[in-house]
Amino acid sequence: MTEPPPPPSHDEGAERIEGIERRWAMVGIGVLLVLVVVAAFAGIHQAAMPQSRVEIVDPLRLHLSGEFIDSNLGSAVEPDGSVTVRAIGQEYSFTPSCILVPRDTPITFRATSADVVHGFLIDGTDINLMLVPGYISSLRARFETLGERYMPCHEFCGTGHEGMWGRIKVVDKAVFAQMAAGAKRVSCVK
Amino acid sequence: MNREWAAILRSKWFPASVGITAALAIAGLLVGFVVLPLADRNEQFHSVWDAICSAAGLIQNAAREPVVQANYPTTRVELTPRMLRGASAESIGRGATLALRCTMCHGARGLSEANTPNLAGQYAVVIYKQLMDFKTGARVSAVMAPLVGDLSDQDMRDLAAYYAYLPRVPASRPAGEPPQIVASGAPLRSIAPCGACHGELASKPGAAWLEGQPFDYLRTQLQDFASGARRNDIGEQMRNVARGMTVAEIDAASRFYAGLRGPTGSQADASSKQH
Repeated sequence: MTEPPPPPSHDEGAERIEGIERRWAMVGIGVLLVLVVVAAFAGIHQAAMPQSRVEIVDPLRLHLSGEFIDSNLGSAVEPDGSVTVRAIGQEYSFTPSCILVPRDTPITFRATSADVVHGFLIDGTDINLMLVPGYISSLRARFETLGERYMPCHEFCGTGHEGMWGRIKVVDKAVFAQMAAGAKRVSCVK
Repeated sequence: MNREWAAILRSKWFPASVGITAALAIAGLLVGFVVLPLADRNEQFHSVWDAICSAAGLIQNAAREPVVQANYPTTRVELTPRMLRGASAESIGRGATLALRCTMCHGARGLSEANTPNLAGQYAVVIYKQLMDFKTGARVSAVMAPLVGDLSDQDMRDLAAYYAYLPRVPASRPAGEPPQIVASGAPLRSIAPCGACHGELASKPGAAWLEGQPFDYLRTQLQDFASGARRNDIGEQMRNVARGMTVAEIDAASRFYAGLRGPTGSQADASSKQH
């Protein structure tokens, strides 16, 4: 049996611990920096940005005047060729319950709620808004693929929440132009 | 204390740390109020000042082109959850006098002998809204239109107070479970349960109390909502639902609320022949 090595002196131990602490601090700061960069990149380049403009509307008077009266809901063709879609969420349906939009066209969604908080989400896209009573939610989008998508309300809004979902149909530009020719507002509600 | 402060101010670290903090704050403000709003593809700001105001949460409703107005009368009633609550005895009494003109169809105490709605115990908001809609033409009825023409707003409030005060039709609920459309709706076809608004599960302002209403009346209203013949529902809330209902579901819901038993039988056939 040999003698065990003498225990390190006080100064030696403190130095070693300080070194370990410094290395872990570097790792921690590195992780933080990576997360900040990832969040900033995803926020600016990939995900939908939070709305920059605050617009308000009286939820109890949507049907009386302003842009959310029944006859003004649906898709409208703007002078610049883009399409504005206006919709409302209420217990327990979206109006219009089927939204029609053309492919490869800039679309602006403008929506609000007539009663409680509802969710406005289009499956297979990054379109995901909250419809808050009193505020107008707006978002720009563009659809590349044709077909029908679902719009489930994804904020629990009451006892009939599970029955609240709408449809959005992306059609060819020419088909949309044909349908929009005769009417000022179009939808695919039958 | 003063000596400590003096030492701090003399330290070469003081201007450096204050400067770094201030620089970070200014950089943060620039990113949050200018860079990010201007990078937002959802909004086009006219100026930097516009972007700063928007980021600060200043309410700015964008100017919009004129709206498309309906080519038919729409409901002008604004519903609030608390409206018409706590009617006075005087209002109920005035309503009772005014209601004399309604008794021919809606019964002496609001219980109909014909296929007209029972109004006894109906929510005051519902009576008031329908009277207003008949008056403005949002709800079309050749019978009701001439009767409401001379009613003032207060008259309608009094009538609503009176009918809400009367006792409801005695519950005559058919035995067994309510039909699926009433209890759970048809979620796969985007139809919420009737009860979610009409009082079985929860109530929505403006949604009527349906129990004890005549079968014919209920079925006609659902058919009219589905076809668009009736369109005084705010935001198409009933039209959206009725459009998706099948003939069998319309029948089942109407039978349930009318207090009739089972699925479509001889009784429903008989009443539909009366049309």
